[in-house]
Amino acid sequence: MFLDPQILANGLMLGALYACIAVGFSLVWGVLNVINMMHGSLIILSGYLTFFAWLHLKVNPFLMLLVVSPVLFAFGYALQYGLINRVVSRPVLTTLTLTFGLDMILYNLMNVVFEATPRRIILDLGSLSVGDVVLPNDRLFAMFLALGLTLLLFWVMRSSRAGRAIVAVRMDRDAAALMGIPIRQVYAMTFAIGALMAGACGVLLAITFPVTTNISGLLLGKAFVVCVIGGLGSVPGALVGGLALGLIESYTGTWWGPQTAVLLGFVLMIVLLMTRPTGLLGKAGYE
Amino acid sequence: MSEPLMQVSGLVSGYGDVQVLWGMELAVQAGEICCIVGSNGAGKSTLLRTISGLVAARGGSVRFAGRELAGATPAQVLQAGIAHVPEGRRLFRGLTVRDNLLLGAYHRTGATRAEIDDDLGQIYDSFPILKERRNQDATTLSGGEQQMCAIGRGIMSRPTLLMIDELSLGLAPLAVEKLCDSLRAINRGGLSILVVEQDVLTAFELAQHAFVVETGRVTVSGSCAELARNPQVRQAYMGI
Ligand SMILES: Nc1ncnc2c1ncn2[C@@H]1O[C@H](COP(=O)(O)OP(=O)(O)O)[C@@H](O)[C@H]1O
Ligand SMILES: [Mg+2]
Repeated sequence: MFLDPQILANGLMLGALYACIAVGFSLVWGVLNVINMMHGSLIILSGYLTFFAWLHLKVNPFLMLLVVSPVLFAFGYALQYGLINRVVSRPVLTTLTLTFGLDMILYNLMNVVFEATPRRIILDLGSLSVGDVVLPNDRLFAMFLALGLTLLLFWVMRSSRAGRAIVAVRMDRDAAALMGIPIRQVYAMTFAIGALMAGACGVLLAITFPVTTNISGLLLGKAFVVCVIGGLGSVPGALVGGLALGLIESYTGTWWGPQTAVLLGFVLMIVLLMTRPTGLLGKAGYE
Repeated sequence: MSEPLMQVSGLVSGYGDVQVLWGMELAVQAGEICCIVGSNGAGKSTLLRTISGLVAARGGSVRFAGRELAGATPAQVLQAGIAHVPEGRRLFRGLTVRDNLLLGAYHRTGATRAEIDDDLGQIYDSFPILKERRNQDATTLSGGEQQMCAIGRGIMSRPTLLMIDELSLGLAPLAVEKLCDSLRAINRGGLSILVVEQDVLTAFELAQHAFVVETGRVTVSGSCAELARNPQVRQAYMGI
């Protein structure tokens, strides 16, 4: 039963998407100490942009990655630089309330403009069969792109000048300032990267699942769970947490039904918060 | 005497309602090593933090190489040529020794890869242990090695003045001796150094000029040789 390759494959495909969803959220939380309540809605917004570009302009949804990601990056940068930076050093409740309010605005705007009916892109890319296992090609591509983007972010954080600056600001803001690192710009850049990842996830989500505002809260919840499982503020943490959650949901979903699977994710989060609040890979904790 | 490299006059600053600096006066000549001594809470760190722009100056001036730096941002102060090695080293956890050193050169956007590598090589020449440990998390080094890394990180910004807060605090005597030797060599290479040091004997041995700070003011200053003979200084800080 544990070795049923179809369930395993489904879990990995889902988990890769979860990792990608959580990694941007985790970065913003870890570096800025801002819990971005808009993360789910940003994903849905990008999903809609992808859907309507496909429906009306016949744009290949995969190509929309190259459009949506930069747009969300710019949006995130402006939002952090112009608005959130003003309150970023206040207690976390202040920034949480701010992003919550912004989320309400965005969520309701989307309900008005796009309506809540689920929208589905139909690509008919066929599927790959390996033995008894059927892998829909759209999900397979989405999985590889999600993993690729997550690893790309890992590489950027590890090896680029901007990544080093972000880590430096996270670890010691005053010492980072002494290196001449412009703190406010790094904050904006970090939030922008978080938004970019949400944008990319929105595109991948639109390719594989119906898009509807109804699930924006659920996506935010997934990001929370993944961060708690994997540990906050690190790319490997989000990757491990995302894959773990995908596998757990896939197995429990097959055995006990999808409602139980979602519930179990949140139960697991609460148990981990009580027993191991730094997550499976976490070192830094919720500072 | 020619115009000093850095002239601090009437500098006032503090935190919130608490005023810490009450009109600081000091001058650093180009090419020399100066030290600041004084008891805990006298305002030495606040002075360095105000010079480097981490704490806003509320009055007075910092003239440096012909420019006014009071009110400048940390990035502008660094650009002007002052690097600040903070108290407690403050290396970045989770980053390697090499990455920490590279962050010192963060603001040098005009420098080529080769120039940066060259400077990195010079740091490794001054502190060979850093080369050996370059791929290790910087915060796993010993105290003395961390201080070398912090000083190296400061030098990577190519400053004309290096300010070091609490050079020897918490370090073994042998490590302090090594650091002082390295700093003398680096100083002979042309870098001016201002060091805050709670151990007066170490400070006077390293520096040419000294400033004694008490409750936010410089109360005594002069050549280290002079101050070492000053009965007040001897009694208050050298326990003799
Ligand atoms: N971040 C801060 N906020 C408020 N007061 C501070 C802060 N840092 C230092 N002080 C106060 O400023 C005074 C001088 O401190 P400091 O400059 O660190 O002294 P020193 O480096 O000479 O030991 C002390 O009374 C200290 O309590
Ligand atoms: Mg101090």
